[in-house]
Amino acid sequence: MIYFDNSATTFPSDRVRSVITEYLNDEVSGNPGSLHTLGVKADKLYNECRANIAKLLGASSDEILFTSCATESANTAIRGYVSRNKRSGNKIISTKTEHKATLECLEYLKAQGCEIVYLPVDGRGKPDLSVLEEELSGGDTALLCFTMVNNETGAVLPLSEIVELRNRVSRNTKIYLDAVQALGKIGIDLHKTGVDMCSFSGHKIHSVKGNGILYIKSGVNVDPLILGGGQQKGLRSGTQSLVLAKAFEEALSEACEDIEEANKVASGINDYLREELKARKAVILSPDDAIPFVLNVSFSSFESETMLHCLEMYEVYVSTVSACSSKAKKVSYVLLECGVDRKIASNAVRLSFSRYNTMEEAREFIKILDEIYDKYLIIH
Amino acid sequence: MSNILLARMGEITLKGLNRGSFEIQLKSNLKYRLKKFGDLKIYQTQSRIWIEPKDESNPYFATESDAKEIMKAVTQVFGIVSVSLARKFEGGFDEVVENAKAYVTELLANNPDYKTFKVDSKRGNKAFPMNSPEICAELGYQILENFPQLTVNVKKPDFILNVEIRDYNYIYSGKMMAHRGLPVGTSGKGMLLLSGGIDSPVAGFMMASRGMPLDAVYFHSYPYTSEQAMDKVKDLAKIVAGFSGRMTLHVVNFTQIQLDMYKNSPQDMLTITMRRVMFQIAERLAEKNNCKCLITGESLGQVASQTLEAIQATNAVCKMPVLRPLIGMDKQATCDISRQIGAFETSILPYEDCCTIFVAKHPKTHPHPEDVIEAEKNLDIEAMVEAGVNGTEDIIIEAFD
Repeated sequence: MIYFDNSATTFPSDRVRSVITEYLNDEVSGNPGSLHTLGVKADKLYNECRANIAKLLGASSDEILFTSCATESANTAIRGYVSRNKRSGNKIISTKTEHKATLECLEYLKAQGCEIVYLPVDGRGKPDLSVLEEELSGGDTALLCFTMVNNETGAVLPLSEIVELRNRVSRNTKIYLDAVQALGKIGIDLHKTGVDMCSFSGHKIHSVKGNGILYIKSGVNVDPLILGGGQQKGLRSGTQSLVLAKAFEEALSEACEDIEEANKVASGINDYLREELKARKAVILSPDDAIPFVLNVSFSSFESETMLHCLEMYEVYVSTVSACSSKAKKVSYVLLECGVDRKIASNAVRLSFSRYNTMEEAREFIKILDEIYDKYLIIH
Repeated sequence: MSNILLARMGEITLKGLNRGSFEIQLKSNLKYRLKKFGDLKIYQTQSRIWIEPKDESNPYFATESDAKEIMKAVTQVFGIVSVSLARKFEGGFDEVVENAKAYVTELLANNPDYKTFKVDSKRGNKAFPMNSPEICAELGYQILENFPQLTVNVKKPDFILNVEIRDYNYIYSGKMMAHRGLPVGTSGKGMLLLSGGIDSPVAGFMMASRGMPLDAVYFHSYPYTSEQAMDKVKDLAKIVAGFSGRMTLHVVNFTQIQLDMYKNSPQDMLTITMRRVMFQIAERLAEKNNCKCLITGESLGQVASQTLEAIQATNAVCKMPVLRPLIGMDKQATCDISRQIGAFETSILPYEDCCTIFVAKHPKTHPHPEDVIEAEKNLDIEAMVEAGVNGTEDIIIEAFD
């Protein structure tokens, strides 16, 4: 099996598996809210875990919130901030290349009366900062919503320029950052970035599904999305899961240790594949300065879904947003927004790597690709 | 007192000396279709079929809403016109009144806007001391006395209270309409060419309604069509099997055949050539599985491959009759039936048609016979048909889970 779909999800690492096994034991399975010794022990471990994660991310412990996934983090941040800070402005600025977790929140807020401004992006997926400056100068902007690394193309946000712009033009505007695809790939020091809220997901860094993180900078207030027993300072009710928190902590610390090595591996694979694919007349859609972990490529004469199924016959797993359908062809809105031609976008496939992929796999991939072209190519 | 289903037979009752064999088939079909609803007693009196649970605590008969599922299953058995859930009890007129009062109380609780009613009665048991008009009049009076909010309206009542006096007494109101037709199994078997679209399941449904059991054949072109496309076809086959009974779905691995065709024949004739091969494979499978005809969802002029010339070209390859129940139907009418049988939502799922990759941009719509021969001159058709038949996977599709 060649698994090149790590941006969709990753498999739990060995260390994560063993931490989970360890934390399913009775003595660490008390409710952190209970008053007896078992509860107190769980609570202590939970807080330690939160502190460790905070440290790894360059934040303080009380700025870290455990959630069920990054989508919940995004909802809490965006909707929760707007709901709590009605007087901070009515405008939200973002781009149309955000993840659906952000876009759907923005559409929801638009229906509630917020003004949503989508900045144009260039061919490399970068938002137009002159338009941003213009919009910010007009005042009334409550929030900026951006993605650190685009999940489809790997395009990297010019974050420091955006933060600098915000600091200069509209100090009170807050920044929400989706860092799901950046975690473990780009070093993140939250206090230094200058963002106000930031979301992360565990299963993209070899933890398991069901754990996310939301960073909320101290001093920034949001309304909770989930009400109940008042856990996590009332910001996210629901019994805390120590085992999931530990899984996230383990995955994060492993990712941080391996970040350089992982980049080296991914770069090697990425460079090799770019070269080989170009030689086969494929169009590389990821910008040159994208992170090496994501490679979006359009194969000539193969619709995305056909290519995906061809690859899956060889136990090679990749992703595509474009899907075949008799009625309307679904094509990636991200690629179209970046100005990619519709025909090229409808043949786009995303390859995404992790530190566990190897050069051998990349070479094997190319071999398989040649076989697919040989056997299954249809040209009209 | 217990609940019982009363199903009415239709066209069968017009049959002459062979009526008995139709009825036996119908009861056997009901028995199969209702398998999952527990141990049942299914018997017949005149043009009625009665279905009751052997175990009184059978949950599918408990209330009107519990019975919806089994009633729907009954309506899917061809030969049935309608079905009602009736209350069955013993006794004389006093018991009829008591049961009717309880029944109407429940009925009004579920339908508080009911204001008018009438009583309709049938008396099969001639020993019963009152005749039908007397039962209607007296029971109507009792209902009016006990439910002051109700009045009688014999022309357009909100509900009809039906009373039947036979060996037992029965009370019911309303009925669920079924799909009529003839019991499946009273005609020979047909091989349905099933795609993932709207038309072919409807074609299968229509032939099954004339008593025809079905097998189905699907041409799978993985990786050009996905596994989901295949799952969708299985789902559609199951929907059709709800009406036609158990069927075998023959899945032909068509990829290599299509690729060979694509490489060795002219593109504008590809659809016709492909259909001619499909028909031959289907006919071969039909012969092997004791089917006496092919069934397609073709409708004249709907697409390029369904012009008269194209139909002639595909028809020419097989000896069996090819039944095309939709041939003169408008697409809208087909969609209406598709919705009625619960197939539409599945049919319009997107997963098909990646195999449109094999379809030419401008296919020939009115091919001449010589075009057809020319198109196949570089193909070993017999080998393709052979490969198709041999590379078939059979899947048994039951009417229920």
